[in-house]
Amino acid sequence: MKKGRICFVLILSLVLLFPIIAGGTEENVNDEKVVLTLESWRADDVAQWNNLLAEYTNEVAPNVEIQFKPTNPPDYNATLRLKLDSGTAGDLLYARSYATGQELFNAGYFYDCSDIPGIQDAFIESSKAPWQMADGKMFAVPFAAVSHVVYYNKDIFAKEGLDIPTTWEDFLSVCSKLKADGITPLANGTSDEWDIFECFFCGILPNFIGGADSRVQYENGTKKLNDENFVAAYQAMADIAQYCPNGFSAVTYNDSQALFATGKAAMFMDGSWTLGVYGDEGLNWGVFAMPAPKGKNTAICFHPDTAITMNPATEHPEEAKAFLAWLCTKEGATVASNNMAVGFFPMLNEEITLSNDHANECLALNAGKETDARFVWPALMDLYSPMDQAVIKVMKGQQTAKQAADSIQALLKAEN
Amino acid sequence: MKIKSKKQKKSYSCVEEKKYYWLRYIIPALLFYVVFMAYPLLDSLRLSLYTGNTINSRTFVGLKNFIVLFTDPQKSTRYWSAFGNTWIFFLINMVMQNCLGILFAVILTNRTMKGRQFYQTIIFIPTTFAVLVTGYLWKLLLNPIWSGPTLEKIGLGFLAQPYLGQSSTALISCTLVSCWQWMGIPTMMFVAALRNVPEDCIEAAEIEGANSRQLFARVKLPLIKPTVGMVSILTFVNNFNAFDIIFAMENANGAPEYSTDLIGTLFYRVGIAGQHPIGIPDTGLGAAIATITFFVLALGVVPTLKATQGGDN
Amino acid sequence: MIIWCFIVILPLWVLVIDSFKTKLSIYTNPFGLPAKWNFNNYFSVFRDSQFLIYFKNSFIVVILSLLIMLFVTSLASYSFANWKGKGSKILFFFMIAGMMLPIKIASIKILEIMKILGLINTIWSLVPIYVAMGIPIGIFILTEFIREIPYSLTEAALLDGAGRFKIYHMIIMPLIKPALATVAIYNLVPFWNDLWFPLILINNEKSKTLLLGVNKLFGQYQTDWSKVMAVLTLSAIPVLTLYLSMSKQFISGITAGSVKG
Repeated sequence: MKKGRICFVLILSLVLLFPIIAGGTEENVNDEKVVLTLESWRADDVAQWNNLLAEYTNEVAPNVEIQFKPTNPPDYNATLRLKLDSGTAGDLLYARSYATGQELFNAGYFYDCSDIPGIQDAFIESSKAPWQMADGKMFAVPFAAVSHVVYYNKDIFAKEGLDIPTTWEDFLSVCSKLKADGITPLANGTSDEWDIFECFFCGILPNFIGGADSRVQYENGTKKLNDENFVAAYQAMADIAQYCPNGFSAVTYNDSQALFATGKAAMFMDGSWTLGVYGDEGLNWGVFAMPAPKGKNTAICFHPDTAITMNPATEHPEEAKAFLAWLCTKEGATVASNNMAVGFFPMLNEEITLSNDHANECLALNAGKETDARFVWPALMDLYSPMDQAVIKVMKGQQTAKQAADSIQALLKAEN
Repeated sequence: MKIKSKKQKKSYSCVEEKKYYWLRYIIPALLFYVVFMAYPLLDSLRLSLYTGNTINSRTFVGLKNFIVLFTDPQKSTRYWSAFGNTWIFFLINMVMQNCLGILFAVILTNRTMKGRQFYQTIIFIPTTFAVLVTGYLWKLLLNPIWSGPTLEKIGLGFLAQPYLGQSSTALISCTLVSCWQWMGIPTMMFVAALRNVPEDCIEAAEIEGANSRQLFARVKLPLIKPTVGMVSILTFVNNFNAFDIIFAMENANGAPEYSTDLIGTLFYRVGIAGQHPIGIPDTGLGAAIATITFFVLALGVVPTLKATQGGDN
Repeated sequence: MIIWCFIVILPLWVLVIDSFKTKLSIYTNPFGLPAKWNFNNYFSVFRDSQFLIYFKNSFIVVILSLLIMLFVTSLASYSFANWKGKGSKILFFFMIAGMMLPIKIASIKILEIMKILGLINTIWSLVPIYVAMGIPIGIFILTEFIREIPYSLTEAALLDGAGRFKIYHMIIMPLIKPALATVAIYNLVPFWNDLWFPLILINNEKSKTLLLGVNKLFGQYQTDWSKVMAVLTLSAIPVLTLYLSMSKQFISGITAGSVKG
């Protein structure tokens, strides 16, 4: 028995010591280069970012190497917070806009970027706003925005003899013609919940209720959330429900993309981030702006999506700040936009041409139109879920448009 | 000498010696457990008495989180709906895993069964899949858009419904998929338990003229009662914390319309990730939910343990 | 039984078949054989040497965790089964209480502990966590099994003058092989397929586990499912092999135990 016990104690201590010994040899100190990490939720952009960062190192800062370490998007917020809390986060971080980012700034996890050279002049006010605190302090450098448009299958349109609709009423008649001929007009579904709200509803909303100025009036109560414009918007969702695929309540975002890509659906209300997905082989496609009802101006939902900030607890603040400053220059932004994923647009206050045709086509749609961020983002995020659910209920026929609008207005009143 | 001392429980010094003696075998497990599980968990539960999200902003608020959870209309509706859904999820799982598990185990231990190993492996294969994959595969199969054309070809077109999109069918679908995936483990446990039934008991019963049904009901079933209890407890505990399958098949919100919202998803949404896309969690409230869940589970586990494990033959 | 087999095999079929298709052709015909067999997915897995490293990491972590866990748990269960004092009951409940709480909430503290121990970003940080995760259930199941072993066997050994540890080693261990296999199999799958802890603890490319590596394939808006399925088909193979080898232990243990003297 004694022998067994000694043996047992030995094994136990070996087991416990081994990790500590092994852990100690992980240090890989490279004195020459400063290595920074960039945390992000864009796991799809690894190749592009590696290019971008390689160019930065080669052209601008040879002694700095930045590593791109993305996390799977649904987990980004949770894991970032965990890492920040325990002090294991990277040096540079992707920052969410408005309330989410503000909260992290208040917690001391984001750097006060107001003094980064060039940041104040490089962007127009509406681009800076999403990453600004109430007192004007900027907590991140704006990086990319996305747009919401209608993707359409050119071949199907040609075969059916249809033109791009310019008003909402035209759009509905295009849909009904397609359906009558046995083609699914729209690929959108409600299973993932966020896509129908963020891409479709928030996309058409500016058409019905107006742009940024109008939105502010809703926020401060001058206009009510159940006025006729809003009800019309909900009604629009109810109207298109019949043009979505059969069983659309089970259609996920992934499915929608597949439906459009395989030609099974003619149109897809989606964000510009999918511009790079379809490629040009086998599918002849284009984009057009979501049309407004007759008599109203078409507005585009051009939403500021990404910004980059610095972790104040970083060990290399100077190098991190230098990178951020570079992004505010025209050269930096050009390199960035050439390497950005297709469908993400730079927010710099300069003329930049993109290399992808579809991306240029999409950006060109902004010309002459009012733009705004997604409606609930700036100040009404608490209404995101209720509004999302209301839209889905309206589409499924469980609520009328008026009931939906009233329920949201009631919630707002309850908060005040 | 040692045998005598075991029976003489009243003998003070011998009991003492025995107690500390046994303790030392538990030490290694205790070490791992306390450092890496008990301490972090207890510390996090402590958070239920605080509010605020970061080290700097945490303030002690006593039982406020618990009170808010039950009195705030929005939060409490979510909680009770998740609670109810979790019970449904659990009950369906429990019935299926116990009944089908025993059924399969009986079939598998039947002496006349051929290809036993093959069937057992087949039953176990789903368990080896990552939940993400299971979720995706079943989402594909249950989606009328993709499975519709194939089903119509074989004349089963009416089966093509949006199961995952309707609040009436979504929860049950997810539950059945979860059963499908985890069936291998109860089956395995029941096979082991059935094999452990002493041959002499079975032979004795057969000699007395029992047919196979009576054999099962009167002899085997009571003898595998501890295993039934064990499987029930494991099902109970795992389902109350279930999260992955819903996350894979719907989303963390418990779509559609919160009908698949379980306590596990509610906890994740409130305590860890925050509501999409805001992403600001309320760790105090999340910890409160976890604490309540713990008590509910303890209330269920302890009596069951006493009832099923007490039967020493 | 046959129906059940069919229900099991169908998604399996889809998994394997779809891993041979290209990303979008999955949707033209999800259940049929691929029009064009696309081996690229599998090739890229092998070419991308990262995946082999991930495999290796997962393998090491899981095997090590299982071994350590089985060892400490069986010791502790042996003790619980024999020690009938009040302290034993309290300690027992304390240790199985762990399975009633979602360990995710303890993540922050665990991260901090790992930082203190210097294990962050290595695969060794996962091992203690998995061992701790397996302990409650292991103790729960094994204590029960050990209790079932007739005392007569221990008595006989004690009469022969054997020490407790030797009894444990020579008699109890072989008899509870099926239970050990059960516990191992029960924990094998969650350890292998765990995503959360590698996600928060490991950033280092060469320390990532398999599922974390697969996670990379999930983009924010687009996912190449055919590639994911190829990787996951491949990853199911080691698990299945481990399961088959353990279930052999399982069977041999049972048949050994049933021949009781």
